[in-house]
Amino acid sequence: PSSMAAAASVKAALQVAEVLETIVSCCVGPEGRQVLCTKPTGDVLLSRDGGRLLGALHLEHPVARMIVACVSSHLKKTGDGAKTFIIFLCHLLRGLHAITDREKDSLICENIQTHGRHWKNCCQWKFISQRLLVFQTQTLDCIMDQYLSRHFLSIFSSAKERTLSRSSLESLLEAYFCGRVGRNNQKFISQLMCDYFFKCMTCESGIDVFELVDDCFVELNVGVTGLPVSDSRIVAGLVLHRDFSVYCPADGDIRIVMVTETIQPPFSTSGSEFILNSEAQFQTSQFWIMERTKAIMKHLHSQNVKLLLSSVKQPDLVTYYAGLNGISVVESLSSSEVSLIQRIIGLSPLVLPQDFSQREISNTALVKFCKPLILRSKTYVHLGLASTRTFIPHCIVLCGPVQGLIEQHEGALHGAFKMLRQLFKDLDLNYLTEAKDQSDTSSPLISTNSRESNQLPEIGNGSLQSPCQDTAVKNKDKWEKTQTYLKVNSNLVVSNVELETYIPCSTAKLTPTGTFQTDETVRCLSLGKYTIIDNCEPLIESNSTVNSTTENTMIEISYENLQVTKIAGKGSMLPVRCKLLDVCTSRNYCSSSMSAGCVLPVGGNFEILLHYYLLNYAKKCQQSEESMISMIVANALLGIPKVLYKSKKGNYSFPQVYIRALHALQTNQPLVSSQTGLESVAGKYQLLTSVLQCLSKILSIDLVINVKRQPQKVCDQDSEDEL
Amino acid sequence: MTRLEAKKPSLCKSEPLTSERVKATLSVWKGIVSSCYGPSGRLKQLHNGLGGCVCTTSQSSALLRHLSVTHPILKILTTSVQNHVSCFSDCGLFTAILCCNLIENVQRIGLTPTTVIKLNKHLLRLCTNYLKSEACGCRLPVDFGSTQILLCLVRSILTSKPASMLTRKEIDHISALVLKAFLLTIPENAGDHVILGKSIIVPLKGQRVIDSTVLPGILIEMSEVQLMKLLPIKKSGALKVALFCTTLSGDLSDPGEGTVVVSCGVSLENAVLDQLLHLGRQLISDHVDLVLCQKVIHPSLKQLLSVHRIIAIDRIGVALMEPLSKVTGTQPIGSLGSISPSSYGSVKDLCTAKFGSKHFFHLIPNEATICSLLLCNRNDTAWDELKLTCQTALHVLQLTIKEPWVLLGGGCTETHLAAYIRHKTHNEPESILKDDGCTQTELHLIAEAFCSALESLAASLEHDGGEILTDMKYGHFWSVQADSPSVVNWPDLLSRCGCGLYNSREELGWSFLRSTCRPFTPQTCLPHEAAGSGSNLTVDCLTAKLSGLEVAVETANLILDLSYVIEDKN
Repeated sequence: PSSMAAAASVKAALQVAEVLETIVSCCVGPEGRQVLCTKPTGDVLLSRDGGRLLGALHLEHPVARMIVACVSSHLKKTGDGAKTFIIFLCHLLRGLHAITDREKDSLICENIQTHGRHWKNCCQWKFISQRLLVFQTQTLDCIMDQYLSRHFLSIFSSAKERTLSRSSLESLLEAYFCGRVGRNNQKFISQLMCDYFFKCMTCESGIDVFELVDDCFVELNVGVTGLPVSDSRIVAGLVLHRDFSVYCPADGDIRIVMVTETIQPPFSTSGSEFILNSEAQFQTSQFWIMERTKAIMKHLHSQNVKLLLSSVKQPDLVTYYAGLNGISVVESLSSSEVSLIQRIIGLSPLVLPQDFSQREISNTALVKFCKPLILRSKTYVHLGLASTRTFIPHCIVLCGPVQGLIEQHEGALHGAFKMLRQLFKDLDLNYLTEAKDQSDTSSPLISTNSRESNQLPEIGNGSLQSPCQDTAVKNKDKWEKTQTYLKVNSNLVVSNVELETYIPCSTAKLTPTGTFQTDETVRCLSLGKYTIIDNCEPLIESNSTVNSTTENTMIEISYENLQVTKIAGKGSMLPVRCKLLDVCTSRNYCSSSMSAGCVLPVGGNFEILLHYYLLNYAKKCQQSEESMISMIVANALLGIPKVLYKSKKGNYSFPQVYIRALHALQTNQPLVSSQTGLESVAGKYQLLTSVLQCLSKILSIDLVINVKRQPQKVCDQDSEDEL
Repeated sequence: MTRLEAKKPSLCKSEPLTSERVKATLSVWKGIVSSCYGPSGRLKQLHNGLGGCVCTTSQSSALLRHLSVTHPILKILTTSVQNHVSCFSDCGLFTAILCCNLIENVQRIGLTPTTVIKLNKHLLRLCTNYLKSEACGCRLPVDFGSTQILLCLVRSILTSKPASMLTRKEIDHISALVLKAFLLTIPENAGDHVILGKSIIVPLKGQRVIDSTVLPGILIEMSEVQLMKLLPIKKSGALKVALFCTTLSGDLSDPGEGTVVVSCGVSLENAVLDQLLHLGRQLISDHVDLVLCQKVIHPSLKQLLSVHRIIAIDRIGVALMEPLSKVTGTQPIGSLGSISPSSYGSVKDLCTAKFGSKHFFHLIPNEATICSLLLCNRNDTAWDELKLTCQTALHVLQLTIKEPWVLLGGGCTETHLAAYIRHKTHNEPESILKDDGCTQTELHLIAEAFCSALESLAASLEHDGGEILTDMKYGHFWSVQADSPSVVNWPDLLSRCGCGLYNSREELGWSFLRSTCRPFTPQTCLPHEAAGSGSNLTVDCLTAKLSGLEVAVETANLILDLSYVIEDKN
């Protein structure tokens, strides 16, 4: 009965997911359209952002709520893929549902029937859910690393310095905004973002800039309603979302200070008691306060300070003396504005000591200009913050006829920075390579989830139960060294794949010379800016070693016009590898990484590739559950390109594209994409893992209990307080 | 504490534009806005059942502020128009009607939104490029050497707002005043960076419109009793001014976060008053003649000042602070302690004035860019409308300084633009399409929808059932009275085109506006004498109209792109 109840829950989940799918699928992809959401406050919001839409729906169904929660936690990480999430999840559920249905009917062909029978035997949803997690942590990484990685392109024109050319960024962003912004403005917003990116970046910029922009995006843009979108522009420096309290025009470099409390000393401070015994005493203290304020402002003036930024409202007295001393004042800065200024120019708040007048003020900074900026008859403070080594401050002025549209563009731009932030990071892939002969041994479950690489050695030792344990461990250590060296040296994914092929074979052959030679290889790979490496099949077949790998003929071709480095491996490596693996008798942990900047052409390329390799993998799998799960995932993956190509006809319809892609893969020809855009592989990979996690969560629930009362506060300290 | 409340699930509707209800709502709304358009537009009276005054208007800003719409699509439309109006003051109805027309026309065609949006964008670019180009046949340069075009601009704005209830003569008077007020805000010796001053509109309701006037400087209204009190100490000649932004009422200042314990018998009020009187003595010794305070002045201090023949005026309010500081050249004082001599300012003279039943202090500046426009009208509603109109006119003049061009009004720009687009799309469709995957047929369909949207916008100027014609040479707008006999000879019935630039004496070909006419080449490049030709041209602000056009097309595209509406019904 419990399984029945659970089966029903898959059905329920599928129904829920299908409803969500119909809503999001109208906004997906380049043909997607806008959705208008109204809030109870009367605001209207325009959106194509899946996360926003799902949030606006206020769903009641518990499964729907769980799905939405999963989506939003995924979005927090990556800023992309909410719609694809729902579509993919829906297809996965459909696949699972179909299998259980087929069981009942039991009238299908042999092959599936055997699978089905086995499936029935262990038809515990929880078991499937665990299997899904295993698949996500093991198989997926393995496939990504061993097969898929050879198709990856790099967004960087030079892998070593991670330089990015404008055209490749453009194709990445255009594809991104295609799914996020109304058709009216896609091109414009994408160009704006591109301009912004290149205006803010220096040659030394790295991941930290993305973090800065991502964290402080709200402060780095200004929305102006009532103007056409095409009036949006980028201004140098920082625009604060408020007006001057006092403005004194000044030329040249301007010295600024920042305070977080009132400059005028308070009459009494918190926690103290001020006893007034006479009127004269009161007047004296008032006089002292006034004189001190005056003195402080004079002192600031003498130190050539021209602008005072304050996170609190300053009393009239302070603004008056500021005006007299030619100091402009900006009050009530938000804490995030303060922290942004701190992060950019490293200006820390001023704390005045008792005897300030003798000292120089150390916490000052220079800005290039400081003037009012009038946008639609509202005045803003425009600061010419100096650029740092890695960041040249710029602000985006976003215009639009309605606030809802500006918010949409702001959200999309923010999401794009999140996406780039992810793209510029390396992604760790950990998995277990296993000898295929030993299928009778236990499942790869031994491999307790090893996402953190620092746990790796330990687990590695534990799971190596084969006779050649010692050598294998040594082997691994050495290999890891090479690996790190590789990571430092280059981003070439192919090299990782190559290395993995020989490690399982034996240690003895991994001689120092060998290592050296590999380094050589890698070095020459990273030196050549645009390289195509062509691994010749027979060489790998001859029981490959390091030496033989280095002997591989390498054809380096420089393309002047190609912007992305294309690393095309030959598809025929696949069967070879299997042979190699068959020979080995030990299991090994591979800790590889997908280098930053990996991209694939848009239009479902990632999905079709993964689909193909998963099917291949499933055919070779000995364990039926594993192959079944691979099949389900593989088929569900196709759901995404199907939606993308829905409106296309003729040669560009989905079946045509799919068949062409399969043919190309089977005959080892490069895939041809009809679209020019690029998309981040890391984002896709993370989406996949998030969906699988969400699905396993759904499957592991057997009962939903509906509670109707106010949620109670969880408070540990209540009992203590009562005492 | 979080507020808990039963959340209702949201309502989700797909393809909102196809529903009959939405179509009906849109057409009602379009009916409202288009019936207000132009000099002969019908007035709308807006009652709010819950209170507030009745508003009679035909202006978009007042209309949309009072109207409450519930449908999300209408909300988008109205906010879009309102935002445009708050940026440019003018061309709100133009934007609203054009947007509605575009949505309606495009829906009739039934092409996919992708194509429509793409092509609309191309056509918009064609329009904006043309309107900004030298070859444009419907714009005039503004010559700041003479007031002619500027006066035409102001007069066109005043004429197009019939709810101000002005006669021909009154319109002339007010246009001259508005232009004068605007010219007074321009600094005399401006460098590269001109900062315009401000015209303050002072209400005088219940007076004749002809009594309206404009004065340099600031008028501070006060009661007759107050005025009588201050009158004896009135001085003439230059006055030294102190302007306070802090309160002088003797309130205790903020005691801080700690506790203040006051011993028995100690009166802090006295202490503060002592401080105030000390301040007063400083003002006296500094020979200040006029003390202005944003907030309240303590009666004792007032007394002290008046004894020493210093005029003290309090409760000025925050709105007047900035103009006052500009007029007098003072630094608003925020201290009760010593005052730096540099924060004092001066005025050239101070006099009292009486307009209607109101009494004013008039601060006459030495040299400043602030002036007061005393605006009279017969009743409240008409005055409100007139005030809005004058603000619009002042704003439009500012915009025209930045972009010194005007567009021909009276529907001529719209019909001319429509003719231009027709001509372009028929003769050079390739240059518009580039390689966008759209066919020429699609372009022609959308261009026809776009042009007829522009033309029916122009046709909304006519509310009395008259016939509308366009000529086949300039593509201008001509209207014929409704009850005219059906004759063959049009020139007998037509005198001048909508903007007033051309008359019907010329040999022109005629065509009905709403009939399908063959494309012709409208004459581009206005002749030079056109600019100086008439003192009676109808012209519009280029900046506002251009932006209105862009906003209308963008908003229409946005609404056409909607595939779902999710309503949160909580």
